[in-house]
Amino acid sequence: MKEKTVEDIVLEIKDKSELMVDLSYSSLIYDNKVIAKEVYDLEDIVDNLYKTLQRRAVENVKNKKLSVNDALTVLRLAEAGEQIADAAQEIADVELRDVELHPILKMSVRESDVVFTRVKVEPNSVLCGKTLGDIKLGSETGMYVRAMRHGERWLYGPDKKTCIDKGDIIFARGPEDGEKHLIDLATGKTSEI
Amino acid sequence: MNNKKKRRLFGRLQRTPKEKWKKEEFTELEYEPTPVKELLTEMKDISELIIDLAYSAVLFDNFEMAEEVKFLDVRMDKLNYDIRIMAMMAARTKEDAEQLAGILQVAEAAESISNAAGDIVNLLSKEEKTGPILPKILKEAEEQLFRIKVSSKSKACNKKIDELKVESETGMRLIAIRRGDGWIYNPQSDTDIKADDWLIARGSNEGFKDLSKFLHGELEVLD
Repeated sequence: MKEKTVEDIVLEIKDKSELMVDLSYSSLIYDNKVIAKEVYDLEDIVDNLYKTLQRRAVENVKNKKLSVNDALTVLRLAEAGEQIADAAQEIADVELRDVELHPILKMSVRESDVVFTRVKVEPNSVLCGKTLGDIKLGSETGMYVRAMRHGERWLYGPDKKTCIDKGDIIFARGPEDGEKHLIDLATGKTSEI
Repeated sequence: MNNKKKRRLFGRLQRTPKEKWKKEEFTELEYEPTPVKELLTEMKDISELIIDLAYSAVLFDNFEMAEEVKFLDVRMDKLNYDIRIMAMMAARTKEDAEQLAGILQVAEAAESISNAAGDIVNLLSKEEKTGPILPKILKEAEEQLFRIKVSSKSKACNKKIDELKVESETGMRLIAIRRGDGWIYNPQSDTDIKADDWLIARGSNEGFKDLSKFLHGELEVLD
């Protein structure tokens, strides 16, 4: 496998940390400990990525592949991503605690500009057997799939190649008017994407 | 009343005066009872907007957006202060306190996110001007940030974002609109789009292609 470049690692930290924020807020909305635990696991991954990046950046400066200023910029950007990841973990921590969530918490997270939706894919839905890349859910409905549950397995941050099967549970984020469209698609009420 | 206040903060044309955040930081805090729910909703909204705004500022090398990030960061500190006071006054029993502690923890996390965004825009500071490494990195992200200019030929002109269903049709989330020398951050559903606006949006490449065709007047409808 090709070794990841410094740029690849920073991007991975950025994407993962944003995924974590989405997941942690949705763990509160759905009072879902499984998602909250995933945020914990992701935080570990981000920590490791950050450590690898630090080493790689220093090595690259030594080999003169990277200027000192560029290395600092990259590290600072990654540090911000790492902080965001930590914050997401703090949010997930609230869900994992053995205290019932304050009703206000769910209401506030639910009532904001961006909504999270959870929907089960019915056997008669057009989504069955298609990959996320085929159906272009994101650009057609505005809903981005952030996590999926397939039987007992969970998938976080799925990509274009991820296939949707009947019975899958989709967690997506997007605008309010996209939510209905996605639900109609998944429940087979409409087949127009 | 607080809803009005939120409207005042988002979705209106404004210019963030240089160093407005400094003024905000040194104004005295006044006790103003605001429901915890409203405070927390605003904090969550800011925490999501501010990350995109910070990355956009860095990507497009834009100091005005960076100033807004700094302002929102300071605003977040205030909201966090208010929410602590309100939560403490709401606690009557140990059970109350335990539940409210959860709210405060989420608020604290939202504040850390805004601090991180503040750190991101500090990368723009002039002293250590770096090469184009940041734009180079950010252009490779899964969901990218784009800038699109609205042509006067586009059917989008003078329509509300709500009517156009920009986000649900293209998956492009509008982060900010630049109009003349002012800005609209986090445009709301009733915000109009006007000719010659610059839209800052986040989404996939495909969504970007559709939206820019529409905004350039090459497509009649968003579909």
